[in-house]
Amino acid sequence: MTTSIGSAMTAAVKEAGGGRSRRGTDLIVKSNLLLVFLALCVVASLLAPQFLTGRNIANLLQQSALTGIVAIGMTMVVLTAGIDLSVGSVAAFGGMTVALLMGSGMPVLPAIAISIAVGAVFGAIMGGLSAYLGLPSFMTTLAGLTAIRGLTYLLTDGKPADGGGSEAFQLLGGGFIGYVPIVGIVFVAITILAALVLRGTTFGEYVYAVGSNKEAARLSGLPVRAVITTVFAVSGALAALAGVLLTSRLTVGQPTAFSGLELDAIAAVVLGGTNLFGGRGGVFGTFVAVLLLSVLRNLCNLLGLGSFFQMVVTGLILLVALILNMLIERRGARA
Amino acid sequence: MSDTTERLHMSGIVKRFPGTVALDGVDLSVRAGEVHCLLGENGAGKSTLMKILAGSYQPDEGTILLDGEPYRPATPHAGLAAGIAVIYQELDLLPDLTVAQNLLLGRAPRLGPFVRRARRAGLAREALDRVGANFPVTTPVRELPIAARQLTAIAKALTADARVIVMDEPSATLGESELARVFEVIRSLTAEGRSVIFISHRMEEVMEIGHRATVLRDGRTAGVFDLSSTGPGELVAAMIGEAKELVRPTAHPAPEGEPRLSVERVHVPGLLDVRGIEVRPGEIVGLAGLGGAGRTTLLRALFGDIKAQVTARLDGVPLRPGSPAAAVRAGLALVPESRKEQGLMLGLSVSRNAAIAALGRPPWLMPGRTGRRITADALTALGVKSAGPGQLVGQLSGGNQQKVVLAKWITRGRIRVLLLDEPTRGLDVGAKADLYRQVRHLAGQGVAVLLASSELNELTANADRIQVLYEGRNVAGFDPRVSPESVIAHTVITGATP
Repeated sequence: MTTSIGSAMTAAVKEAGGGRSRRGTDLIVKSNLLLVFLALCVVASLLAPQFLTGRNIANLLQQSALTGIVAIGMTMVVLTAGIDLSVGSVAAFGGMTVALLMGSGMPVLPAIAISIAVGAVFGAIMGGLSAYLGLPSFMTTLAGLTAIRGLTYLLTDGKPADGGGSEAFQLLGGGFIGYVPIVGIVFVAITILAALVLRGTTFGEYVYAVGSNKEAARLSGLPVRAVITTVFAVSGALAALAGVLLTSRLTVGQPTAFSGLELDAIAAVVLGGTNLFGGRGGVFGTFVAVLLLSVLRNLCNLLGLGSFFQMVVTGLILLVALILNMLIERRGARA
Repeated sequence: MSDTTERLHMSGIVKRFPGTVALDGVDLSVRAGEVHCLLGENGAGKSTLMKILAGSYQPDEGTILLDGEPYRPATPHAGLAAGIAVIYQELDLLPDLTVAQNLLLGRAPRLGPFVRRARRAGLAREALDRVGANFPVTTPVRELPIAARQLTAIAKALTADARVIVMDEPSATLGESELARVFEVIRSLTAEGRSVIFISHRMEEVMEIGHRATVLRDGRTAGVFDLSSTGPGELVAAMIGEAKELVRPTAHPAPEGEPRLSVERVHVPGLLDVRGIEVRPGEIVGLAGLGGAGRTTLLRALFGDIKAQVTARLDGVPLRPGSPAAAVRAGLALVPESRKEQGLMLGLSVSRNAAIAALGRPPWLMPGRTGRRITADALTALGVKSAGPGQLVGQLSGGNQQKVVLAKWITRGRIRVLLLDEPTRGLDVGAKADLYRQVRHLAGQGVAVLLASSELNELTANADRIQVLYEGRNVAGFDPRVSPESVIAHTVITGATP
């Protein structure tokens, strides 16, 4: 039985003819995380009246969007049984690149495109090394984490880069449409796009096949290495996009930004029910998990609890969610 | 021959799982010093019964007596302590540890916190000597050939001083000479008064090694037979219940015309050097040989899965399989040796498994829906029994899983050459016959089939021609309609025609 929220959602929608017990279990699993999320929101609005204000929710979405975008890319990597530890460094590099390019007079759109492309190339290199040489992606991206962070510092000798970007560019990361932050819209759009790719295209099916059994996928004639390289490229591109959005909000490129981002992203992926060994899960689970973690942080802030306390709570919630998922999976497996 | 003291008595064993009754009142009685064969089609309840015996499952009803004492193990550990050792098909040895470490895992002789390595090596040596194995105890299990691992697993069962030793299809991975070795050990075990429960699908082995046999069918005991007075026909009849059509050579006209696959030479230095094999459309060419003779290597080389110098033509066009993906594009299809590790994605559904090779062309969208639509015909035609296309393939029986592997290639279509590597391993008699019927049906549509099997009788029954591989070379070709099986068997074992 699947523990994944994302696959559960789509499976419940799409596999109307599937087994009844499986659908039942999926529903429980699906609602598991959603219910926890909603319960948390209710608790939050009771404890802190300002939680449900438009301003606060907009804040919340803006804060979680960047991590969320990266976590979507991470979900695809984890679905192939890989892991991408380099996302924080790639994001910082992307943010610096876009600032430097615009600082040197390049128009906004090409600057963004190049920054994202560079992120994709970084991802493709690390993923390709893993796929074609059989190196564990844990190691290639760990190397990337260090090396790319170093490169980021080398760009400006560690100093922030002034983007001097236009107002249009600053709107991208810091702007709102009504109460809705633009980065939030980007996050939602990317989630939907990723879900469509994963569930609605042959490539997405290959991602699940490779994650489920790489050897069987290879012997079925699937382009396993290309699939792995591609998901890492996607992860790199999305990380760079997050960097671009941050630079847009801050108006400067920060070489120290996003350190530790990979752990937040992985936490969201796992909390969202994607199996770390690949083949099961999906982006909707990740989406809800990102919001959940963010609400948790927000609530702690509103209650005036310090960030040390937040870290403890986040860790415990992660643990409880994992145990809950495991128990439900066991029940499902026995039924 | 065994005496008639009853060593193990299981009676009225019932085991229910949610939605199904796996065992519905099974009786099993095993005497001291006896080789007792446990037979039954896949899903008849053999594994469940043995898991109850081992202590992995608790029965819902029924009693077990071991040497007259009530026996009800709560865990496998308790089962082992009571003298029940189960050697599973997937030998539960730790590949990175040495033979000695494996043999005395958790029971190594100690001095304070330190392992007494010399003493452990000595004990391990004794255990290996008892099964007549002469490889060093310091070898990591990973480096041992499969037969040696099997002996190690038996030796491990002996270190626990087991009274009842269960062997779950030990022969599935063994060649003939290795099997003879294991049989010798079994005989010496029973001579010491130990009982062996032997699970196998191969009738010849059962007839050779067994004293009595219990046949399970649909979770019930279908009969107990004294093997000195029973023929394989009766056993098979008891296993399958009503008379099903068995695998018999059918008189096919030998396919004629230009070969579809023409192998001039396949060369893997030090491993394989095969020359001159041709397969015509509609023809099934069997590859016979001992374990390690190169059957799997040949198929993997043709499929582009290992580096090899391949000089071959497919419908007259040079075949250069650089990768499995290229081989598949050229029209080759492989049913690999291990369906669980190489053939299937066990965590995905039946239809997703069957569709995966066919999705590499338009429409590129909606793989779930497309998959269910395009696999429906193949799954129906093959008679795959599942709760529906959405069921996880890991939950199917072995025979149905193998059919899903086949369905994957049928769904893809345009197969020109089908490579089958031990397709019937672990399948029961009915599922085997079913699978071969499907393969013959595919051949009838013009597919050229290369069938590697260690079961010579299956080859003689199903192949149009048989090529014998011996130590990496093809040494002889036979027409099973003309050559008696004994002659082919002789060549398989000795590498020379009599």
